Amino acid sequence: MRKLLDFLYRRRTFAIFLGLEIVCVWLIVSFNQRQNADFLNSSNALSARISTSSQNVSDYFDLIEINQQLMLENEQLQARLNANIAYADSLGIPSETYRVQGARVINNTFRRSTNFLTILGGREQGIFPGMGVISTAGVVGQVKSASNRYATVYSMLHPQMIVSSTVKRTNTNCSVQWDQESYDVASLKFVPRHIGLKEGDTIVTSGFNSVFPPNINVGVVSEVNLEDHMTFYDAKIKLSVDFTSLPSVFVVVYETKWEKDSVEAL
Amino acid sequence: MNRVNIREQVSNFIALFVIQLPMLYRITLLDRAFGFFYIGFLILLPFRLSRSYLLVAGFFAGLIVDMFSNTPGIHAGACVFVMYIRDLWLKIVVDDTEDLTNINYISIKKTGFILYAFPLVLVHHLVIFLVENGGLYLFVNLITKTILSALFSFIIIFVLNYLIVPKPRRQ
Repeated sequence: MRKLLDFLYRRRTFAIFLGLEIVCVWLIVSFNQRQNADFLNSSNALSARISTSSQNVSDYFDLIEINQQLMLENEQLQARLNANIAYADSLGIPSETYRVQGARVINNTFRRSTNFLTILGGREQGIFPGMGVISTAGVVGQVKSASNRYATVYSMLHPQMIVSSTVKRTNTNCSVQWDQESYDVASLKFVPRHIGLKEGDTIVTSGFNSVFPPNINVGVVSEVNLEDHMTFYDAKIKLSVDFTSLPSVFVVVYETKWEKDSVEAL
Repeated sequence: MNRVNIREQVSNFIALFVIQLPMLYRITLLDRAFGFFYIGFLILLPFRLSRSYLLVAGFFAGLIVDMFSNTPGIHAGACVFVMYIRDLWLKIVVDDTEDLTNINYISIKKTGFILYAFPLVLVHHLVIFLVENGGLYLFVNLITKTILSALFSFIIIFVLNYLIVPKPRRQ
């Protein structure tokens, strides 16, 4: 026993090195679980506060873009209002209800191989892990973890983010996943070969999983490839959200999510 | 043997580490070069420090950076690795480590500084990008990203060191 302790003492640098590296590996592995309330991420108070203040500075330089986005948002809302007046629930089919919670983006990366956003809004605003995040242009990501006032969001530009979508023209179910190459291109998966997929087809969310409402834009097909041996198309889409300028987003809060989930669990 | 220059260490800490945190992943050159110049603070810690302390310092510095970049463990792991090989590497590239305490461009000369710091920065960046990427996928992209980022960080570290360390008076 004494010899063992002596040995460990003589090799203490290496032992500490090994111990710390094991802790690091454990941290990496445990962070890769999809949702967690980990304090070691950008939604914790210290790092979020510093991010907020540095974003406050850079927001001044983005005021023009923010204004333009707001104008666009107003136009879309106006259009939706008009449409609602025209066909006010004439069929009486119950639809899922959700509300959106606006939030400012205080940190956003898009050039890394795994990208996250940090938003100003957390549990106190009703934002919880697992909720979908959209902007006026389309799908942005999904909440990974939330503290009281901040939340960390998986960007669409994260390889673990897979969005259930449909080809709008043919109503075909498919999935969209980022392939780490460029910040405006993702790949479109599981479109079977009998579907006549064309460049320019719009891909929208399916709305099947209470994360995103149906018919939110994901992107537009930009490249289609089909070899003879393939069961599914190999296609790329151009994402509709411009991740390089994203001053604010909306978190989708489903009021009936628990009910849907419990029915589906039966 | 010289005494540890506290002023220099504190300036290093503020200029390289504290300034880095708010601008992590926010400054990008040529679309893919990120600066992680906080590693400069760690590799310029005094040479006399026990290696165990260096490892622990590297771990916590990396962990703080991780909090800002949503990568728990990645920066910390890379820093611990760099801190482990730091003193061994310094003894290889610098001939005379007998009187060495403060590591800067005067005490180990400019060539020594380049030989010492650049490979360590490169290794640090390589580990980070490799783990973050999750393998050798998109290899060319990964290597150019690593080399450009390491060059970028190294230049910042060198320039800041040049500004912080007072020039020797002519005798």
